Amino acid sequence: MTGSLVLAVPAKGRLQENAEAFFARAGLNLVKPRGARDYRGAIAGLDGVEVAYISASEITAQLASGAVHLGVTGEDLVREMMPDADKRVVLIEGLGFGFANVVVAVPQAWIDVRTMADIDDVATAFRLHHGRKMRVATKYINLTRDFFSSHGIIDYRIVESSGATEGAPGAGTAELIVDITTTGNTLVANGLKIVDDGTILRSQANLVAARTANWGARERETARVILDRIAAQARARAFREVRARFAACDTALVHNAKRQFGVATPFGGPTSSGMLTLHCPPGQVYALTSFLRENGAEAVAVADLDYVFARDNPLYAKLEAGL
Amino acid sequence: MDARATTMTAGPDGRAEALVASYERAGYARVTPAILQPAEPFLDLSGEDIRKRMYLTTAPGGEEFCLRPDLTIPVSRDYLASPAAGRPAGFSYLGTVFRHRTDQPAEFLQAGIESFGRTDKAAADAEMLSLALEATAHYGLTAPDVGTGDVALFAALLAGLDLPSAWKRRLIKDFNRKGNLAQDLDRLVLGGSSARPEYQGVLAALAGSDPKGAHALVTDLLSIAGINAVGGRSVGEIADRFLEQSALGAGARLPGDVRGLIERFLAISGDPDQAAAALRALAADANMTGALGPALDLFESRTGFLAARGVDLKRMKFSTAFGRGFDYYTGFVFELTDPSRVGDPLAAGGRYDGLLTRLGAREPIPAVGLAVWIERLALYGAAP
Repeated sequence: MTGSLVLAVPAKGRLQENAEAFFARAGLNLVKPRGARDYRGAIAGLDGVEVAYISASEITAQLASGAVHLGVTGEDLVREMMPDADKRVVLIEGLGFGFANVVVAVPQAWIDVRTMADIDDVATAFRLHHGRKMRVATKYINLTRDFFSSHGIIDYRIVESSGATEGAPGAGTAELIVDITTTGNTLVANGLKIVDDGTILRSQANLVAARTANWGARERETARVILDRIAAQARARAFREVRARFAACDTALVHNAKRQFGVATPFGGPTSSGMLTLHCPPGQVYALTSFLRENGAEAVAVADLDYVFARDNPLYAKLEAGL
Repeated sequence: MDARATTMTAGPDGRAEALVASYERAGYARVTPAILQPAEPFLDLSGEDIRKRMYLTTAPGGEEFCLRPDLTIPVSRDYLASPAAGRPAGFSYLGTVFRHRTDQPAEFLQAGIESFGRTDKAAADAEMLSLALEATAHYGLTAPDVGTGDVALFAALLAGLDLPSAWKRRLIKDFNRKGNLAQDLDRLVLGGSSARPEYQGVLAALAGSDPKGAHALVTDLLSIAGINAVGGRSVGEIADRFLEQSALGAGARLPGDVRGLIERFLAISGDPDQAAAALRALAADANMTGALGPALDLFESRTGFLAARGVDLKRMKFSTAFGRGFDYYTGFVFELTDPSRVGDPLAAGGRYDGLLTRLGAREPIPAVGLAVWIERLALYGAAP
């Protein structure tokens, strides 16, 4: 469909649920008009969008080739599958789910190894001792190669592993691994430990735009609307609305609150009657209300926000800068 | 895909054929190794970094093959598989090699020579450089820049220093691979890089003890934990290195004068005679004439052979640091470049005495060779 913006969403599992929940929070309900088994969908109430349900790694490949405009995928896959990621895509926003670290892990029995410098030394000694190179099992071939290279490690070989990588050292098919982990529990259960400075990437699900997709005026406008809602929701999530009215409320006091609690004043300073609306980071809400009461407020109301729309659209600005 | 990757190469013109014919006349039998090669030896010898420049393919059985990224390894493997293996033999070649390069065609022509089994190393080294100079002259480039180095000198320097073997291993590796040599020197001079708070007490306690007993203790502790061999390292190896770290100690540091010596060594450059004089002076000052002697003798003998072949020594630029980052060279290294252009070599070569052992030879076989970039010579050189 020409003029349609294609949004790629993971086709199954927790990633799909999380992605759908994320868009729903921004008022963008993903629907499958032709039934749950369909791999094509739409956004309720928003024309010009085609939602494509595909696997996360396929999403990354299609972003790289420009076959889809926007997609939800892990930064780990982007960095691994696109050596020139910054030329091909724009990472617009971390979505707050799908957290996972790509790490270097060695057998716990390697009590002499705590850092990448140790691995470097062990690798060289291993080659001299065994007449072959130490093997690293991983599916992150490019990330591993670049990370090892940045640590000056040369005496190793990569063994490609597409699943159950953490079992490789135990099975004798590799000496150490590079893999993704969220809690580290699976690594520990397999007798492995993470090297101190061995975290290659802290990854999460990202909203990613393909720079080489066909970005006509209509696709841009659709993207602007989607990103506007996402930005409004993100801004709303980052703040609570705090309201109070008291005579002592003046510019100096607001200035003070900004400095101490990081509040924003979306509607400007206090009115002549002392009415004040502040947007406050959630962690600072109680401290702020105490501060306001100490300075004369009789009552302070705090509310959650659904959306905060602003004139600027930072996410779209980021996309536009990258196109 | 990069369209240039599939661009046809110009093909050897008459000059390339004439060049290889002259190598044949000089006693280097012409060989034509297979274009499709097992990937393993290249990855093993050149490291994983070369993978991103190689054109790899997988056979249905899973074995990895590649389009040859150079001809040294194919020629060496064919020699080892032949009845001549182990005996002196010389080969020449002219053929395509394949490497991903961002702004140049991936398929290009190389001519070259590999010489195996010659024990008169200084003479063989000198012959390679002079044949490389003939190759550039063949294309009308009679006065290329000649950069040379000798990686055996750094190895000899380190061997002669009183340093823990772990540090020597690390510094040699850094030197060979353009690694973080300066950074590592900094770290070693400052000390404390191997600070391991949780084991420091144990390590300190073990430091002064009988090495055999300490080894047995650590091995036993690992065995009690039910650990025999995990990840291909034996308990003994782990214990050895654990104790080696204890011997180094968290507070161990590289003495400042050793660092000064290494830096002074790496700063030496000039024509071969100037460099030799500076190296002799350094050896005398550091009381290392014994350690550096054999490598220096070979160096000076090579210079003599070069002069005898009529190579203008004053135009050679020797540097002790040259050769860093070259894959498997063990001694003399050289590179010829066009003085009016930066970077890309016209011809390069050197000694790689360790290569054939790593490819499976039972006895060490001395080896030295050179390669020339045909298209570059044709482009930069005079018209035929």
